[in-house]
Amino acid sequence: MVNHPLTPEQLAVIASPLDAKIFLEGHAGAGKTTAGMERLLSLFEAGIPGYQILLLVPQRTLATPYYDALQSPTAAAGGSVTVLTIGGLAKRMVELFWPLISAEAGFAHPNRPPNFLTLETAQYFMARLVRPLLDQGFFESLTIERNRLYSQILDNLNKAAVVGFPHTEISLKLKSAWAGDPGQAHVYEDAQHCADLFRAYCLERNLLDFSLQLEIFLEHLWPAPICRDYLVENYRHMIVDNLEEDVPVTFDLLREWIPELESGLFIYDLEAGYRRFMGADPQTTYQIKEHCDQTVTFFESFSSSEEMLSVGYALAQSLHPEKEPPSLHPSALPLHPSASHYYPQMLDWVVEQIAALVEEGTPPGEIVVLSSFLSDALRFSLAERLDGMGIPTCSHRPSRSLREEPATQALLTLAALAHPQWGLSPSKFDLAYALIQAIEGLDLVRAQLLTEIVYKERDGALTPFDQINPETQERITYQLGNLYQELYRWLNAYTQGAPGELDHFFSRLFGEVLSQPGFGFHVDYDAGEVAANLIESVRKFRWAVGESLEAEGISLGKEYLQMVADGVIAAQYIYSWQTQPEDAVFLAPAYTFLMRNRPVEYQFWLDIGSRGWYERIRQPLTHPYVLSRHWELHRPWTDADEYDASRDSLYRLALGLIRRCRSGIYLGLSQLGEQGYEHKGLLLKIIDRALYSVSSEQ
Amino acid sequence: MTDFLPRPAQQAVLEYTGGTMGISAVPGSGKTWTLSALAARLISEGCLQQDQEILIVTLTNSAVDNFAARIEGFLRHQERRPLLPYYRVRTLHGLSHDIVRDRPELVGLDSNFQILDEREANAIRDEVAAAWLRVNPYALDDYLDSELDEGRRDWVRRQPLVEQVKSIALSFIRTAKDMQLTPETLRRQLDTLPLPLPLAEMGAAMYSDYQRALAYRGAVDFDDLIRLALQALRSDDDLLNRLREMWPFILEDEAQDSSKLQEEILRLLAGPSGNWVRVGDPNQAIYESFTTADPRHLRQFMSVADFPQELPNSGRSTRSIMDVANYLIDWARGEHPIIEARDALDLPHILPTPEGDPQLNPPDAPEGIHLIEIRFTPEAEILAVADSIERWLGQHSEETIAALTPRNVRGFALNDELRRRGIETVDSLLRSSSSTRFTAGALGNILHYLADPGSARKLARVYRVWRRADRGDSDLWKQVEATAKILGGCNHVEDFLHPGPGGDWLDDLREQDILSGELDQLEEFRLVLSRWLKTIELPIDQMVLTLSQELFTSPNDLAISHKLAVMLRRVRNMHPEWHLPELTGELAVIAKNERRFLGFSEDDTGFDPDKHKGKVVISTIHKAKGLEWDRVYLMSVNNYDFPSGMEYDNYIPEKWFVRNRLNLEAETLAQLEAAFSRDAYEWYAEGGPTYEARMEYVRERLRLLYVGITRARKELIITWNTGRRGDLQAAIPLVALQAFWKNK
Repeated sequence: MVNHPLTPEQLAVIASPLDAKIFLEGHAGAGKTTAGMERLLSLFEAGIPGYQILLLVPQRTLATPYYDALQSPTAAAGGSVTVLTIGGLAKRMVELFWPLISAEAGFAHPNRPPNFLTLETAQYFMARLVRPLLDQGFFESLTIERNRLYSQILDNLNKAAVVGFPHTEISLKLKSAWAGDPGQAHVYEDAQHCADLFRAYCLERNLLDFSLQLEIFLEHLWPAPICRDYLVENYRHMIVDNLEEDVPVTFDLLREWIPELESGLFIYDLEAGYRRFMGADPQTTYQIKEHCDQTVTFFESFSSSEEMLSVGYALAQSLHPEKEPPSLHPSALPLHPSASHYYPQMLDWVVEQIAALVEEGTPPGEIVVLSSFLSDALRFSLAERLDGMGIPTCSHRPSRSLREEPATQALLTLAALAHPQWGLSPSKFDLAYALIQAIEGLDLVRAQLLTEIVYKERDGALTPFDQINPETQERITYQLGNLYQELYRWLNAYTQGAPGELDHFFSRLFGEVLSQPGFGFHVDYDAGEVAANLIESVRKFRWAVGESLEAEGISLGKEYLQMVADGVIAAQYIYSWQTQPEDAVFLAPAYTFLMRNRPVEYQFWLDIGSRGWYERIRQPLTHPYVLSRHWELHRPWTDADEYDASRDSLYRLALGLIRRCRSGIYLGLSQLGEQGYEHKGLLLKIIDRALYSVSSEQ
Repeated sequence: MTDFLPRPAQQAVLEYTGGTMGISAVPGSGKTWTLSALAARLISEGCLQQDQEILIVTLTNSAVDNFAARIEGFLRHQERRPLLPYYRVRTLHGLSHDIVRDRPELVGLDSNFQILDEREANAIRDEVAAAWLRVNPYALDDYLDSELDEGRRDWVRRQPLVEQVKSIALSFIRTAKDMQLTPETLRRQLDTLPLPLPLAEMGAAMYSDYQRALAYRGAVDFDDLIRLALQALRSDDDLLNRLREMWPFILEDEAQDSSKLQEEILRLLAGPSGNWVRVGDPNQAIYESFTTADPRHLRQFMSVADFPQELPNSGRSTRSIMDVANYLIDWARGEHPIIEARDALDLPHILPTPEGDPQLNPPDAPEGIHLIEIRFTPEAEILAVADSIERWLGQHSEETIAALTPRNVRGFALNDELRRRGIETVDSLLRSSSSTRFTAGALGNILHYLADPGSARKLARVYRVWRRADRGDSDLWKQVEATAKILGGCNHVEDFLHPGPGGDWLDDLREQDILSGELDQLEEFRLVLSRWLKTIELPIDQMVLTLSQELFTSPNDLAISHKLAVMLRRVRNMHPEWHLPELTGELAVIAKNERRFLGFSEDDTGFDPDKHKGKVVISTIHKAKGLEWDRVYLMSVNNYDFPSGMEYDNYIPEKWFVRNRLNLEAETLAQLEAAFSRDAYEWYAEGGPTYEARMEYVRERLRLLYVGITRARKELIITWNTGRRGDLQAAIPLVALQAFWKNK
């Protein structure tokens, strides 16, 4: 489980008394999470049942090491531990105590059950409410895609909830920090109006989006003795990891909860805090320290070498020359820069270097390729090139939406075919495309040939394989033809029966056909994952809007397909982690790698001139800093603030990456980025400076 | 810095250390060299602090590359070359993009805002204009010629007036943006006026509809980019100060084409005591379409600059050609029959390069100048020029030659005639953007195939695209063509691409000993293609980007591919039901040049005349700016294309169906300006703007003639024609030049 022997400091934390409340801080790679895991196991060993332990994390994936530890054969049996985020906790409590607070919280129908919204179903309702307002001239001075507009209004509500201010103050805060053209500030009033409208709509219909769940929990349930007693009596021990990534209201909650706990371990990563755009507030959550009995600091680094740490110092110094003292540099930094003029040249260089490293014995799993934004074009180009050299790759793709996944498109096409009553006949191209996904080994040429013969676009009907002429059958090959025939039979049988729910349809299609040997999803784990996500998405959509659509006489399946086409739903990221080959080069956006929290030997940083390495996503209707707890009302947000924020996030990012790297960083610079623009971002500048200062010292 | 031997005038520029400097540079005076050398000197002499850059602003993307290459050339001996160059070369649009991209939310933009290319912006604007006219069919009746009968009027409303309103929409919206007006501020102002301004009302309505259409798409146009950049700089002092700190020196090329906004942006960036060097030639301020640029901005700057300079020496042309060009300046300044046109051209004269200069002028050859007096019909002019070219080419295959016309249509006519005679021509400058066509064409052929992968014919075309680098080698290309032909005959494409139990088509070829020399290429092609086929899993934009990364290496191609990708993505978002076949169709339209598609700059071709020796380059005079040839023909120099303000002259912007020969476009813009005027004497008076516009046109045409003349190195031939109706005259400046030359 643990590669290194535990240090005395770690052992001290693990073996601390069962009533200790410890604040554990240190840099990434200092062994804090390892100590947390071992502490959890030691609680079990001390006979504390799992149901008395609450593990709180800001994002579920950050609990992965704990899940792994609990599943290890050496772990003592202690029953299941509750692992939650603050949002998950809120939802669970609202579900449990709904009858007690539904009236008090202002719901119009307190006796009816709550309807929990996901991000996408919330967006669906927001779109329904805001669309007519746009036609009335709302947001006229903004240049923005509609779906981005809806999500920013929701984001404001969520920020109000996680920061802990009334949602009615959103526009006040945003307006008071606005430093641009005064005429533009009215868009915040429009945004406030939409947020108010949405909240009223939710209260009227028992709909609970993330913000409402959290607000009800914090304002109505936590103060209520019945709920508070339930929580403090149930969970006697708490471990909180990655506190620095958590939101301010978590601090509010913990501050009141800690005195009631028997033991607590609160782990804080210094100089991290990457989820600011989600409301993370490392400054506020750091104050938990004052509510603990003791503070322990880990200084060692298990995940980085002296040389690598010297890179960190050099970059930090060139980023903050006024703050950081110049450090002693080694003779050369383990940085390997390479400047290309064109983007494809940089990719060739990356592939060459990786091949050389693998050739020299570095396992592919010890190499990551990081960029600020992982476009499909980049992922595809790299994966193909490395694949050509026999080097496996894996990636997380939060940059591609569910609706753009080929597997999703194939499933939606087959759904349209199986429900002719919707009148959504797919095009021949759609069908050929779906067949390639559905049937393993079917190429585009044969898929198109098959489609031409078996599909009539006008009525959306298929014909069986055995009805086509033998010569064409031979061209398509009997093996592939038989698989098509199986799919045909299944769809045909489904169409004959009464139509089921769309999510049930997908489950059956996946389970009975597509996941079977010979079909496309059988060996494609990604596609299986996508199918599961799609089913989940449809199911939540059905739960949230099924009733109202039924009342309006609209088919849920058809509405779902149309909303996907409009980009209102299934445009979100894939939520679940995908199963990945263990020993493969990992291609990911830098922040994804950080949140994966696994050190490696070598990192490749691509396109270091890009501003995406440090720049927040600019949104004209919301603002993570202005809506944070630390921004004073009426203080304008200026360019200097923006620059400082960029510098700060680059500092955290660069150090976070370096602390997760043992041997060396390859820096790919393409003068003209993927989009053909010249890049001259801040990361490039500080690297240039660091290299220059080392070479000057030589 | 060792390879550059500056002339005394250039040396004076190179000694610049700070302040404002305005440089008037004659054609061929080496201003790009001088400016690059100045940038290199400032860098190598340590005039920059860490994190500082020299900002160089120029006109076209090809000039951006040119500057960067030259500065790199000067700096190549530097000891340590940083990863990050200490300079930034941008077009105005590129610079504005940098600024807006820095703080998009400051000007109401989302992070992922889109920039509409000209083609799309035109399409939206045209639709807005046509819609306005549909809703207000009689609104402009008061401006129609009263002599028109009702039937004719009706036709005018449906046909030529629509085109007129579209062109008004373009100039009105552009001017409103240049004046930093939003539709709302404009509306408010119009509502305060005591008298209605009907044309401005029309413009305001179209502007408002156009901006709404852009906002809906989450997009801005090129003019917005500039307007918003200025807005961002004005609304945040911190941003402005940071950029001032970053760019302590600003060098601006082609400053005669600077608009008011460009000047304001650079003035703000340079700051009150800023270091700003502007180089340009006010005599070369010529414009192809409506623009808010004006050479007077540069002249005004030069008159107040701390260091006014001239670069008068040019080694480009013979003494005689320089004499003709210089005489045109003198004649225009002193003898032009219309007083208002006398400031069209300005000093300095073009002077030869001094002795010992590395670029000495060609030996003088007065016999190389022919200012033809013959009254040709349009057809006869084409034939005469074609005859002359044909004769000349026979003896000068190693020299360069160009025929320049004021308008595309004449160029195409000459092109047809020369090709009919079997003379090789280069017409890429006549077309909007040939590199775009080429890039889009190559990608289009591949997408076309991927949309229909069973087609052997399309497969063969992809093979030609893949082997396009071999086009230059005629033997090799014959082989490629032969292979493509056999590929085109492949009945079952799947047997080539994905051989199944039915067998491998390549094995069949091998057994039959067909194309044995090309089989390796076909094997490789198959591999490449199977990679390309996998891209259909990607969203369209990423598919195009991926293919382009395999196909292209030049930044221009990559930039164009990216723009195509973004455009196709937007089309896909607007038409979710569209798939590869429909999207490919859209690309094909662009590739065939049926619609205009432009990149960040209007001229991104990077044309090099010396690569076309012995071939006839045909171009408009506008497109030939910055280029030079040994022998140049200037055609159609009559009073239609080069009017001089005479009573009998006609003006293209004045439409026959409008009463009193009003220039409706000019009248509309004047109403817009009047709406914001505070001076009662500046209030709008009908007809005045038409006259003003006429004078502006006369001035621009004089400069156009000057630019045409100064394209020639050794020989210059100017012809004119009597027009379709036979009533046109030789342009007055041409007559003056003829007289001058005869006397000489």
